[in-house]
Amino acid sequence: MSDIIISAKDIEVQFRVRENYLTAIRNVSLDLYQGETFAIVGESGSGKSVFTKTFTGMLESNGKITNGSIMYHGQDLTKFKTEKEWAAIRGVKIATVFQDPMTSLNPIRTIGSQITEVIEKHQKLSKVDAKAQAISMMERVGIPNAAERFDNYPFQYSGGMRQRIVIAIALSCHPEVLICDEPTTALDVTIQAQIIKLIKDLQKELGFTTIYITHDLGVVANVADRVGVMYGGQIIEYGTVNEIFYDPQHPYTWALLSALPQLGVKGEDLYYITGTPPSLYNKIKGDAFAPRNPRALKIDFEKEPPFFKVSDTHYAKTWLLDPRAPKVEKPEAIHNLHEKIARMTSKGGAFHVGNE
Amino acid sequence: MSETNEREVLLSVKDVDISFGEGKNVFKAVQDANFDIYKGETFALVGESGSGKTTIGRAILRINELSKGEITFEGKRISGKLSKAEDREVIRNIQMIFQDPAASLNERATIEYCISEGLYNFHLYKDENDRLQKVDKALEEVGLLPEHKSRYPHEFSGGQRQRVGIARALIMEPKLVVADEPISALDVSIRAQVLNLMNKLKNEKSLTYLFIAHDLSVVRFIADRIAVIHLGRIVEIAETEELFAHPMHPYTISLLSAVPMPDPIIEKQREAIVYADATEEKTGPDYAMREITPGHFVYCTPQQVAGYAKIAE
Amino acid sequence: MDEREDSLFEFAEFDEKESEHIAAPRYSYWKSVWRTFFKSKVTVILSLFLIVLIVFALVQPTYSGYDPTVAPNINTPEMKYLPPSAEHLFGTDNIGNEVWDVVWAGARNSIIVSFISTAIIMVVGILVGALWGFSKKMDRWMIEVYNVVSNVPYLLLAMILSYVLGAGLGSLIFVMTCIDWIYVAYFIRTQVMIIRDREYNMASKCLGTKTFTMIVKNILPYLVSVIVTYISREIPGLISYEVFLSYMGLGLGTNYASLGRTISQYKSFMTGYPHLFWIPVLVLAAIAISLYVVGQKLADATDPRTHR
Repeated sequence: MSDIIISAKDIEVQFRVRENYLTAIRNVSLDLYQGETFAIVGESGSGKSVFTKTFTGMLESNGKITNGSIMYHGQDLTKFKTEKEWAAIRGVKIATVFQDPMTSLNPIRTIGSQITEVIEKHQKLSKVDAKAQAISMMERVGIPNAAERFDNYPFQYSGGMRQRIVIAIALSCHPEVLICDEPTTALDVTIQAQIIKLIKDLQKELGFTTIYITHDLGVVANVADRVGVMYGGQIIEYGTVNEIFYDPQHPYTWALLSALPQLGVKGEDLYYITGTPPSLYNKIKGDAFAPRNPRALKIDFEKEPPFFKVSDTHYAKTWLLDPRAPKVEKPEAIHNLHEKIARMTSKGGAFHVGNE
Repeated sequence: MSETNEREVLLSVKDVDISFGEGKNVFKAVQDANFDIYKGETFALVGESGSGKTTIGRAILRINELSKGEITFEGKRISGKLSKAEDREVIRNIQMIFQDPAASLNERATIEYCISEGLYNFHLYKDENDRLQKVDKALEEVGLLPEHKSRYPHEFSGGQRQRVGIARALIMEPKLVVADEPISALDVSIRAQVLNLMNKLKNEKSLTYLFIAHDLSVVRFIADRIAVIHLGRIVEIAETEELFAHPMHPYTISLLSAVPMPDPIIEKQREAIVYADATEEKTGPDYAMREITPGHFVYCTPQQVAGYAKIAE
Repeated sequence: MDEREDSLFEFAEFDEKESEHIAAPRYSYWKSVWRTFFKSKVTVILSLFLIVLIVFALVQPTYSGYDPTVAPNINTPEMKYLPPSAEHLFGTDNIGNEVWDVVWAGARNSIIVSFISTAIIMVVGILVGALWGFSKKMDRWMIEVYNVVSNVPYLLLAMILSYVLGAGLGSLIFVMTCIDWIYVAYFIRTQVMIIRDREYNMASKCLGTKTFTMIVKNILPYLVSVIVTYISREIPGLISYEVFLSYMGLGLGTNYASLGRTISQYKSFMTGYPHLFWIPVLVLAAIAISLYVVGQKLADATDPRTHR
């Protein structure tokens, strides 16, 4: 593996909501390697967005990092206090693409001026050069007739085009790390496929490192080199993308995979999870997923499991990996996952497209 | 497929246009929509945002007015002006499940009121006792508990709220249920439960569903027949297995190729097929819905029929 | 290894229904409102102060028997212009009346008039406004009515009406309500229009719920907070307005006690006997301000976003 570019250690984040404290992130550590795509999967409220917001100091004002460190080029980002300190990092070295492009774009300014502004500010270019670079950036993210559309307003663009612009702005300073926070959730599936491809192509060309946040395991399979599964404010399993899909170890990862409608057999029930994610207002005891896990062990309710090593790259936080635990098989739906999907996508399968 | 002709048509959408706005700003949301929904089936309407799928669903519920064509239910016209009695009849027979359970439940009413609302309106109970029993039964059917009656919607999780939405629609004992993206606002881990529940209730109560969705993978699991709609126009209708086995219209193929598969090896090789004319319609005077193989219709010209027929071979 | 821990490596019991239970205590809107309201000590103290003030103002005049038409001490010079003391709490005025009695009798009428007027304004305004917001047909002609009524010169109308109807409690209430209701109606209409087309109302429509039931069950419960806010401004506003009208000689007649007229009469003693002017003004301010603050606190408490 290549060098570590960001190293987060034991991050804890708390939010003050009226008189209560909500612990959104509970001791999460993550090493991010240069040039990789690390995908974080989780449901809403799992903390996946909050966690990555700590990398750019964008926590809401009532949130605070209460423990841990984030090392980036020898600096601890958790020690940053002023906007001035962040100015050299946020949007320059570490950029973010959010779910809704309209929250990142100013509706009453032209697309062109919003891109050139960022370029002028950070690269100290002349107006003419900045405009030329902006147009080439727009072409690069796949805006047809970029020069003509330079003076359009955001509302004249479709949702997919707007997201392309947000990506262009995010990449205009050549950041080292790009955080994609559900960048395609608000878009249609066909547009989603195009945006994902665009991000991957740009990554190949520009060599940045990507953190990709999503709730969709299908998207993860497409983009990720490595995957972290988040639940209840923790990463509960991480590994290479193949390890997570073909050899998942945590019951929550099993459940997420098995419940995908892509794997459903008509006329039979889909595998499903009961209940809801835990409330982060309460102190979580043991394994956060235990109350929803039909095969939970007694110890899951008593004591938080440590990370067990599955391989050099694959770790899972579940007592099932303890030698004392009884043997539990993963659900039927995800046995031989690759063979099943291969059948579905080859000729005669439900998801086969194209002529051959 | 031969039995198609023998099946009883429950709902029929005929030559329907729906437009919004007036004069120069007319926006045609739906053009020339034609389809039948048979009794007891799950018919899916699949399309992306702005395709007009929700507009059609709401027209069936008489929320949107048609600008052309008509909709019939059990042979009787239910679009346009109706008498009060007819209008109430439609409400009893056709119910809706909404996309966002947080937005579609009255936050200031108890679950008991939410579920009883239809019962009150049509006085579908003998006495208070009977009403409460019906509410308890409806809650039980969707996997909720009698103790939830006195709770308020915001105390529930998204999945539970959606089940309340299902319970209040089904307590009316409708014949047709229009489900408008019933799972897309839910967390991934609870979608499967709601889908299973919808399937179970359909079998128990011999319901007919119009299932509106944007996601072909969900629709493959739940639907018997599928209509694909693009920019207000239905471009392909076929039985589910047939549509997945022989997708014909380029838009359907593009939609199918965009479904992400949970398999990294395969997903990394797959190329999404871009529907080149996504922004401009493939349409013209020669275009119409034409039957390529029995029960499989594609929006195309007479010249294209032979080409499409080849796909089916 | 820990033996107790070892024994925990077996399956726990799992009940699918278990996860459906809601652990949080039962929610009740009004209970939460009162809990939020009484959480602040300042609010509680101010509310108590306000209640004592109002009850006292309503009760005191019946005991004092103050009658503005008689002046028993008018011929007793030693009873005139007395400064506040233990015996004469607020002192006495130019005709030997106890200012204490005069002020409370005036306050009582101000409070009665403003409370009744507010009740009338709100009930009529909410009813009309709710229907107005729902019906597109009604909107067309109600807007015209609104334009006409809201452009009537208020003071002029008050003058004409007070001459035509005389200067009684009833006519004052009529003067104070005959225009204000349309502002409430317009305000409610706008609020209704905002939430009328929300999805839960569409859902109710799909279930066959009638418009009136929708107003009562779907719309008004959402407007509690804005309505309370409105009332909390309306009552003190009308108290001041009563005082203003009476000060101008357009309010209650001379046979009624009135804070406004009292202030008007005492204003000429501002330099010689300042207590005569300032005491009624301060009582008025105390009532109006505490009404306003308590009302605002209640309005905050009725907003479910503050509940926790």
